Amino acid sequence: MTKAKWWIYQIGIPLVLLYAFPWVFNNAHTIHVAQSFLITYIVIVGLNLLVGLSKQLSLGHVGFYAIGAYLSVILTMKVGLNFFVSVIIAALVAALFGAVVALLSLRAKGPYLAMVTIAFGELVGIIANRWVDVTGGPAGVRTSQPSLFGFELGPIEYMWFIGLLAVIITAGATNIFRGRFGRTMTAFGNSEVASEVLGINVRGWKILAFSISAFLAGVGGGLFAFQNQFISSTTFELNLSILFLIAVIIGGSGTKIGPIIGTAIIVGLPQFLHNFVDYHLMIFGGILLVALILLPDGIVGAFTNLSFIKKLSSKKVTTELGILHDDREATIDLPDGINGKLLELENISMHFGGIKAIDDVEIEVWGGIVHGIIGPNGSGKSTTVNVLSGVYMPTGGNLLWKGKNITKYAPHGIAQEGITRTFQNLQLFEDMSVLQNVMVGFHLHFKTGFLKNVLYLGQVSDEERYYAQKAYDLLRIVGLEEKAHEKASDLPYGEQRLVEIARGLALKPSLLILDEPAAGASPKEIEKIMDVIQRLKNAGLSIILVEHHMDIVMNVCDYITVLDFGKKICEGTPETIQNDPRVIEAYLGGEEVNQLVAGTKSIS
Amino acid sequence: MDLTDVLKAIINGLVYGSVYAIIAQGYYITFITTKTMNFGQGDFVMLGSLIGLSTFTAITAAGMGVWIAFIASLLLVIVVVGISGWALEQVAIRPLRSWHSIGWILSTVAVAMIVRNVAMLIWGRDVLMAPSPFGRAILDLGILKIRYHEIFVLVGAAVIMLLLYVFLKKSLFGKALEAVAFNKDAASLMGINPRLMASIAFIIAGTLAGVGGVLVGPMVHPGAFIGLFLGLKAFAVAIIGGIENPRGIFIGGLLLGVSENLFALYSTSMKEAAAFFLILVILAVLPQGLFGKRVKEKF
Repeated sequence: MTKAKWWIYQIGIPLVLLYAFPWVFNNAHTIHVAQSFLITYIVIVGLNLLVGLSKQLSLGHVGFYAIGAYLSVILTMKVGLNFFVSVIIAALVAALFGAVVALLSLRAKGPYLAMVTIAFGELVGIIANRWVDVTGGPAGVRTSQPSLFGFELGPIEYMWFIGLLAVIITAGATNIFRGRFGRTMTAFGNSEVASEVLGINVRGWKILAFSISAFLAGVGGGLFAFQNQFISSTTFELNLSILFLIAVIIGGSGTKIGPIIGTAIIVGLPQFLHNFVDYHLMIFGGILLVALILLPDGIVGAFTNLSFIKKLSSKKVTTELGILHDDREATIDLPDGINGKLLELENISMHFGGIKAIDDVEIEVWGGIVHGIIGPNGSGKSTTVNVLSGVYMPTGGNLLWKGKNITKYAPHGIAQEGITRTFQNLQLFEDMSVLQNVMVGFHLHFKTGFLKNVLYLGQVSDEERYYAQKAYDLLRIVGLEEKAHEKASDLPYGEQRLVEIARGLALKPSLLILDEPAAGASPKEIEKIMDVIQRLKNAGLSIILVEHHMDIVMNVCDYITVLDFGKKICEGTPETIQNDPRVIEAYLGGEEVNQLVAGTKSIS
Repeated sequence: MDLTDVLKAIINGLVYGSVYAIIAQGYYITFITTKTMNFGQGDFVMLGSLIGLSTFTAITAAGMGVWIAFIASLLLVIVVVGISGWALEQVAIRPLRSWHSIGWILSTVAVAMIVRNVAMLIWGRDVLMAPSPFGRAILDLGILKIRYHEIFVLVGAAVIMLLLYVFLKKSLFGKALEAVAFNKDAASLMGINPRLMASIAFIIAGTLAGVGGVLVGPMVHPGAFIGLFLGLKAFAVAIIGGIENPRGIFIGGLLLGVSENLFALYSTSMKEAAAFFLILVILAVLPQGLFGKRVKEKF
């Protein structure tokens, strides 16, 4: 979208509609409903960022909403601040609480996460209900008429004011959606571990996502307090949190237009149902159930799933990002090759309870070569990779990277040092296109900050275009440029593995760990993967290759370490390995087995 | 505050806690088999207590004995709420089994809304009085007085828990359920039908909610809108104990019940807040609950 068009669609038209609204529907009730719509919409935009992009469930948003409402009332009435200043301060405090809730729930998942957020919301509700001196409890508390620069805002002006905020917030949210912030949130919502090994500090990002979402809920709460100049604790109950979530899901979670439709439904439906007050819950529940069953991706999601809309949008992406495909050879950006000792595993052990997955293993990895790690099933290869990438912290021993001790580093810390990996069990970001998957890999190279992204300054779009081109070039290297805009999860297995390799390359790693890159791939795909590895090797990239397919290992590796039952049994060049009796024994069983097979010995 | 108050609070806590625990076992059974739960479990409890109440009053009014009335109402509740559990699985869980985690929360909430509305149309908006088969009889131990109904609930809950335990651990069906929980595909290859297991899990969950409702009815004032509070407490219990550990849930239930009633000695707001405060503290330290097992993810 060009700049001018964006201004017209995102800012111009909504503002005109807003301005015209009171002239078309000029009665107090409609204006009030419009206010409610806009206030709720702001909350839903925030919740959509959290639930839709980063897949973090919150059933406690009413807590942030209540904090925004009560605090802005207190700041206005007791401290005497202007209402809008109070709302902003209150929303910032709500954001702080968002960070606290995120911290408390960092390790909790699924129902446990749901419960943490419910508990938070309920606690705030109980405080609102019981701390009567401050909150007024169920009897409520009054506040003043909102005013700006000495000018009192009547219902219509107040609606305009909220509307203006809603338009600004929408624009900011859309900018987050299309830039790297939205992409990063979607990424860790899809796969936390893959995000980590690409250098994303998932904890920090979760806290950020929760804070933004809580901030917007706080803004909504503050605006709500001044809508009727009255709030009471009966508003802030779990039901409201559930209602917010319903709006996100029915509208279409993770979509840009979803919140508008979702909010229209939860605000508008009760208006139509107020004649059937006895059947209200039943009708609402019925509609919700039917919508969930028939439109699992929400109303907007159902539309975007239509194939012709899909085609249209992928075409738009290419032109918007200005991706070039010329005849020049795509090159790989890599750090300068290192020839010395890169990585040392000093007596590394990883024990799970009594199981010694790897035990006292020593490996030295040298720069510029392909170092193979092989071994039969259960020999500790995967555990080794998990230790090397920081996914597991070893129970013993040290990990030295260019002489520096990185044993205790989190995966994103290890990624910052220039080590990344692919996954045996594919960890692609399924909601994203192939190109976007690779673009996430550039995470550590992006420079623009949060504010610039919210405003989507020229720098941001330049950066986006620059890395889109880079990502496209990487896809050319692995031969997937034609599938750049397909959904990553729609690709065949072998190609998904190539996407993971391209994504890892985007980090510009000094060391790339390939965890069984050929597992599950067809012979033709294996050939392709082998060719890619060979070319990376020629480009001077240091690689650790964990693999089952002996033909790949023996052809590509310069040096091989063999593991068996968590121990290193030997290492050396492919020739040495092939002729080592210990390796043959580990793979085929020893002399005893030969005798058993030949029938010269029997099990007694 | 003297010792009698504390003792009374502890006994009260055990009584309520054991009811929470029974309701929460419903979360456990459906979660291990389908990775989903009925977020409206509390409304099934409400349904149980109201149906129980109406049946009990109707039969005693016809002049029959209280025990006949009680057993009849228990049986009716088991049938009706059990069927509701099955229906819930059919309309709210089965059609959306394949999607990500948020859908089932809302779909079960949607069913709960409908159930609540129906209850409201039948029993009205106000809370009612539910009679106990023991009437208002009180056991006087000198230092403290306990209602017979409370003793009955405590014993009843223990029996139900024991039956459930034997059923899950010893019966072939229980083993099949566990097999599905452990590995759905492998269980399916062994001739166990995971879909059937899911239906049965929801029927059991519904039954537990119903029985919990019958037991708890005379202790609270049941009405169409009490479900949310009970369901939330039971959910808190399941999370505190660790949702995949039935014994943990039982201990979690007693723990919550007792601490809640001890907090109540200080103030009623503390009582309300206790459950949620406890949860935030426990989950911050042990994200899988007190007795949940930690699984190291493999990549």
